[in-house]
Amino acid sequence: MNAIDLANIKVVYHTRKNGDRVALDNFSLCADNEFLAILGPNGSGKSTLLNVIAQTITPGSGSVLAPTSRKSLSVVFQTPALDQLLTIHENLMVAGALHDLSKAQIKSRIASIASELGLTDRLNDQIRHLSGGLARRADLARALIPHPTVLLLDEPTTGLDIDARRIFWETLDRTRSRLNMTVIMATHITDEAEHADRVLMIRDGQLVREGSPLQLKATLGDRIIRILLESKSDTNEIAEWLNQSAVDHISCNHLILGHHADASLATTCPVESASITIAPPTLEDVYTFYAQSPSVEHMGGELL
Amino acid sequence: MNGTRAAIALGNRELIRQTRQPSRIIASIATPLLIWLFIVGGFSRSIGSVAQSDANLAAYTIPGMASLTVMFASIFAAISLIQDRHDGVLRAALVSPAPRWSIAMSKIGAGSILALFQAIMVLLTLPFLGVTITPIGILGAIAGLACISIALIGLGLALAWIVDSSQGFHGIMNALLMPMWLTSGAVFPVENAASWLKAIALVNPLTWTHTAMRSSLGMDTGYSPTIAWIISIVFALFGIILATYAISQSKKSKS
Repeated sequence: MNAIDLANIKVVYHTRKNGDRVALDNFSLCADNEFLAILGPNGSGKSTLLNVIAQTITPGSGSVLAPTSRKSLSVVFQTPALDQLLTIHENLMVAGALHDLSKAQIKSRIASIASELGLTDRLNDQIRHLSGGLARRADLARALIPHPTVLLLDEPTTGLDIDARRIFWETLDRTRSRLNMTVIMATHITDEAEHADRVLMIRDGQLVREGSPLQLKATLGDRIIRILLESKSDTNEIAEWLNQSAVDHISCNHLILGHHADASLATTCPVESASITIAPPTLEDVYTFYAQSPSVEHMGGELL
Repeated sequence: MNGTRAAIALGNRELIRQTRQPSRIIASIATPLLIWLFIVGGFSRSIGSVAQSDANLAAYTIPGMASLTVMFASIFAAISLIQDRHDGVLRAALVSPAPRWSIAMSKIGAGSILALFQAIMVLLTLPFLGVTITPIGILGAIAGLACISIALIGLGLALAWIVDSSQGFHGIMNALLMPMWLTSGAVFPVENAASWLKAIALVNPLTWTHTAMRSSLGMDTGYSPTIAWIISIVFALFGIILATYAISQSKKSKS
């Protein structure tokens, strides 16, 4: 049995001003003991999906086939869910009590988790006196107190500097391998999604692409051509050239991306002012192709 | 999971928060104290002796001032739900297995303890105003104040659950509670009021909690203490049920 098994989930929000808006449309998801990244632009339905898994939103239709017990589920939100006036230790005591753990159990878990996350010396500091990175680690400690089998992360490194981000991922990787957790992370940052075993790209509440980061990159071939235009008026000329070269491509403002590009292609570009890069595709390229906002214009062939 | 541990831990958290922001306690006591000084110092001669009461105006208004203290403390307690939502603490509680009622009861429990602590300070001025208070009398007054705080925190939590801005919450609560307090006989005897005001006062539950408190403190109110206590207890239960119901509601998608 999977830790998470959602089938044909539909969530519709209704507002007086804007009427109905479909946040998730016929969305299915299975996950078990893996690190899954939900990658999509703002408003694509990522947070709604996490809310359905956390059972804070009841879907309008579809079925949550294996509802995760809340006792074995924890969430790390975009901003730390910690009381600023309380110390790390006091916050962790509250987190344990919310999961019905005894004081002795909580204290023993605090000792081991604080040691693992390098928080032992800071347990008696109030959250308001911590740096952003340290508060993030304290928040991760809060989420780990119940020893969850499913951990939901909602854009967990937003606002962190490079060092704090690296420490966060190292800590999470260590903890995940020790606890055998299913980790589901919503993000719009492709660098974050690179850490995942499997990436689900979503747009407008629908799954548009799925696979490991390597599999997803492979869908764009060995090489991708990135063309940065000085003027948007050159778009049509470039598109025609790429069509003649049989390269599927998309246009996103001043950027044109073509996949399965031949290395010799750069030499025949008709626009001299264009800046051209031919390189192996990154996850960001895949994201731009499949999950970017609807303003992206697909100009050649069917990508899906 | 019975939720008791969660309720106690969340309530304890509220109390710790208070010790780290004493300005809130000072604000809750200072405002009623200033209002009381104005009323007693400025209006006592013009109002004259207080009919239906053995106490002078200063003593007569003390239960009303204690309830005003409780009212301000209750607003602070309920508004902390909005603060928790903005800080993310509420989200962590909502996705935990703790039952929703434990969130409501922690706010009501801790908020009431703090409100009563502040209101007792006000009640302790009675001996200095010539009113003899007995242990039973003071316990009765505290019970009446507890009914007010439970009811008002419950009402506030239900409102805070649907209102997202603390400014909006303050506006609605003040618009609702200040008239409720002013028409409850907090600073005047209901018996002597104009008939329209008396009619409003009699359907105002706060009037009856004030009556219950004054009866306990040996002040003659002209109304049945038994009825006053029944209404006060029902008022408190209403607050608990309202808050628990509101907080148990979750978002549902349209099908």
